[in-house]
Amino acid sequence: MSEHQTGILVVEDEQEIRRFIRQTLERAGYRVFEAATLQQALDDAVARRPEFVVLDLGLPDGDGTDFVRAVRDWSRMPVLILSARSDEANKITALDAGADDYLTKPFSVGELLARVRALLRRAEGGDAGAAQVRFGEVEVDLARRTVTRRGEAVHLTALEYRLLVVLLANAGKVMTHRQLLREVWGAAYVDSTHYLRIYVGHLRQKLEADPTQPAHLRTEIGVGYRFQL
Amino acid sequence: MKIDNPEQLSRGARHLLALLACGLTVMVGLPLRDVLDLANIAMLMLLTVVFIAAILGRAPAILASFVSVAAFDFFYVPPRLSFLVSDVQYLVSFAVMLVVSLLISHLTTRLQASMQEALEREQRAHALYALAQALAGAMSVAQVVRQVGAFVREQAGGEARFFLPDEGERLGEFPEAGHPLGLDESLVLEAVFRAGSGDPSNCVSGPNGLDLYLPLNGATRRRGVLFVRAREDDPGVPVLRPMLEGVASLTAIALERLHFVEVAQASQLEMAAERLRGSILSSISHDIRTPLTVLFGQADALALAGDHLGDAEREAAGAIRDQAGRLHQMVENLLDMARLQAGQVRLRRDWHAIDEVIGASIRLLGDALREHPVKVGVARELSLIALDAVLMERVFCNLIENAAKYSPPGAAVTVEVRPDDGGLAVEVRDRGPGFPSGSLGRVFRVFERGVPESPASGAGLGLAICRAIVEAHGGHIAASNPPEGGACVRFTLPSSGEPPRIEPELADPAGAGS
Repeated sequence: MSEHQTGILVVEDEQEIRRFIRQTLERAGYRVFEAATLQQALDDAVARRPEFVVLDLGLPDGDGTDFVRAVRDWSRMPVLILSARSDEANKITALDAGADDYLTKPFSVGELLARVRALLRRAEGGDAGAAQVRFGEVEVDLARRTVTRRGEAVHLTALEYRLLVVLLANAGKVMTHRQLLREVWGAAYVDSTHYLRIYVGHLRQKLEADPTQPAHLRTEIGVGYRFQL
Repeated sequence: MKIDNPEQLSRGARHLLALLACGLTVMVGLPLRDVLDLANIAMLMLLTVVFIAAILGRAPAILASFVSVAAFDFFYVPPRLSFLVSDVQYLVSFAVMLVVSLLISHLTTRLQASMQEALEREQRAHALYALAQALAGAMSVAQVVRQVGAFVREQAGGEARFFLPDEGERLGEFPEAGHPLGLDESLVLEAVFRAGSGDPSNCVSGPNGLDLYLPLNGATRRRGVLFVRAREDDPGVPVLRPMLEGVASLTAIALERLHFVEVAQASQLEMAAERLRGSILSSISHDIRTPLTVLFGQADALALAGDHLGDAEREAAGAIRDQAGRLHQMVENLLDMARLQAGQVRLRRDWHAIDEVIGASIRLLGDALREHPVKVGVARELSLIALDAVLMERVFCNLIENAAKYSPPGAAVTVEVRPDDGGLAVEVRDRGPGFPSGSLGRVFRVFERGVPESPASGAGLGLAICRAIVEAHGGHIAASNPPEGGACVRFTLPSSGEPPRIEPELADPAGAGS
């Protein structure tokens, strides 16, 4: 066996789905712990010290969001939510509470593994700390606060720049409307989503090759935005 | 002599009693006439008139005044037993005595009358309080009608009839149609009900000058008309009109309260039904999704990672995955349609840029658009529009996927958005064969597909869902075959008002690249 296997806690009340996720993750080289209830999940999160959690929102003994809140009190480990299209609202509460990303059922194996890898990489700090970030034709120099596109300087307003920096700092992760509004505009603006629409539109116009079909600054309808490097 | 209710005696009897009283006083006074001074005798006679006025009323008192003066003259003033007067100054005494007794009888009866009136008023006020209390506790319209009917009968001696509007705003008597009204009366009734509510006390007297038509003015709207039929021998109704207007207001308030109680109960029931429907739908979708998720995931895992499988098996696994995906899509469509058709889809409107919703839909379709580039044309500087983005994403996904499905490989799908009458108009076009002629009006119906038995997949729900969502937003959707070929679906989204303002950002050197 390899020197260290990343431990993943799978919280899902449907045995069949749990088994299939377990097989997929084990085949990809992860160590998997299973929990079928909220209580068991909370116990396992402490006892087994997983480095990642895959969480179904609809648990028989409680709401997955409660788990996210409890875990966020003491840990930054990534939490990936499994949700159904119909429980949009729960998904957003869970993301607001600190979950990192979500997958809508049914999902493909490739998608699941890609999300797990991306979030683990983020958690290990693989993407952080760089003073310069490149995506598409754009280069952002965080130290010198400059943005260039195809070598030419791009002017961003202070808020546009702040929004871009927050998105870059959370690249690969879903940011809900509330999270972005709170970080960029402040707590008084958490419900003013129209600010986001306008400013994200500006950023796309300035930075994306095709602003109507953005490659990096992606919309998660009904949820928020995701920056994809 | 004590008379409990002098009103009950006839006129003649009361006058007779007055005469008897005068006679009695004369008889009592006769043995004393040598002892008492004449002035004191006159006082006794006056006292009698006061009693008569107080007990028997004005007319007997007036009679008694004259009779007393005459008797005083006849029995006491010398020469006795004659109307002749020895001393002329007695004439002054008679005149004063007559005037005083008339005045006294007048004042006394007036006092009596106002006392009586005060009593009646107090009693009516009590009855009115009791009515208000009863109406405040009434639990049904029938109860209100009964209480008010009894009140009007007892206090004003009239017959109260209620005319309340039905759902079509047509007046009908409640609880049941009684004796039909005359044509003129029906016209007045209708006019009172329809009259503008500007004048708060637009109570109208009936054609006969006695009946009253009292509009029941609630705070929000007119709740009906109270018709009070006066009894012909009882002047109570016209006299008590101010009080009856008060009764009408009380009734209107009670009816309005009952109306809102009803509304609240209905919406509570509706909410319960809604919750039940929602929980049934979500438990069905959960039960179907679980096996589909497993099926889809396992087949996907096999197709990707099955190194030990041959190509044929891997292909089969891929096919299972794709079919499971389609099945899931269909189930989602069916559940969506069930939710939408159950009515009352609660839109979660928020301000959105339409191009963002289109971009997200295209990304969501992903692989389905491998062979079909999508050209998006959005007029610049479109303002934000309030819509339910999750639902609108379904509309764009369905329309674009549909367009791609019917287009020849490599042909572009175009999406155009233009301002339209304050709102937006969206057109999705493809380069396919277009809708079959004659089917244009039907394509948005449930389970209708453009081409019968076409190889293209879909349960035919896609367009019906689009229509339901667009119409829930107040828009309109239509299909056409434009002359330049292909198919076109156009829908509108009406203006949702001014988007909220954005505080302008101060020019700030902290920005980047400046």
